[in-house]
Amino acid sequence: MMLLPCPWCGPRNATEFRYVGEAGPRPDPASTTPEEWRRYLFMHANPCGPVKETWYHRAGCRRYLAVERDTATNEVRSAVDSATGVAR
Amino acid sequence: MSDTTPLARGPVAVATPVVRDGWELDARVATGPLTLSDESPLAKVHVRAPFDGASRAALGVGLGRTARGDLGTGDVLVVGSGPGEWLVLGAPGTASALRASIEQRLARTGEFTTVLDLTHGRALLRLTGPTAARVLAGVCAIDFSDAVTPDGAALRTSLAAVVTDVVRDDRSGVPSYLLHVERSSGQYLADALLDAGRGSGLEMTGFRGLG
Repeated sequence: MMLLPCPWCGPRNATEFRYVGEAGPRPDPASTTPEEWRRYLFMHANPCGPVKETWYHRAGCRRYLAVERDTATNEVRSAVDSATGVAR
Repeated sequence: MSDTTPLARGPVAVATPVVRDGWELDARVATGPLTLSDESPLAKVHVRAPFDGASRAALGVGLGRTARGDLGTGDVLVVGSGPGEWLVLGAPGTASALRASIEQRLARTGEFTTVLDLTHGRALLRLTGPTAARVLAGVCAIDFSDAVTPDGAALRTSLAAVVTDVVRDDRSGVPSYLLHVERSSGQYLADALLDAGRGSGLEMTGFRGLG
């Protein structure tokens, strides 16, 4: 079982969350090319190590969280509310 | 033409029906210490407002806690159910008045708020008894010990894989939990709890109310 430290609810089972994906800057849809847009939507770095990702706490506070997690060890270095920056 | 009176039903099947306040209720009275009751007739009003503004002060409670008070329609239980979310529970039949009263109070704050009557869209169960936490432990990963979830605590989590607002609301010192879910999950959750509590002697009992 993996625990994620939700800034609002405290440590919770990862099954309460939905994995949204790796976090990164969203290109401007008005100026980006189709290739760049596809790359943004579907291509991921998938590193073995620290990665910034987004999780949605669907069975808890229903907030999107910015999580920094090590994919090799599942150690979570930080978890903050994506919209408000609230951190525990 | 026959006389027709609107009759509301909770999501959990009743064994011996009686009608009160326009709701069909279960007349059973359990004699054991560990009971589960369908409290769906209670008025349920959902409030959304800024997390830490004047509305929070007007409602009198923050995230993860509960408070009893009077918002203009008699005794209510105000639950801080999420960031910027509140659930207000009141006596059966008071939902419209409660919604209007809360809306009026929050209008004075000048904040953008929404107040919705969810009474008929949600199920509300009450699990009461000295070993209630042990039953919940069978369907949920949360620590329900007194140190972590004392009387007056509120949280949203997954109970038997159903998203549930869990509210600890002890009755005369006996641990008691209000469980608030989507109406369509009410019967399933009741069955899952009865299954988890079979070894502890969990029984269904009739409507009890907020008191």
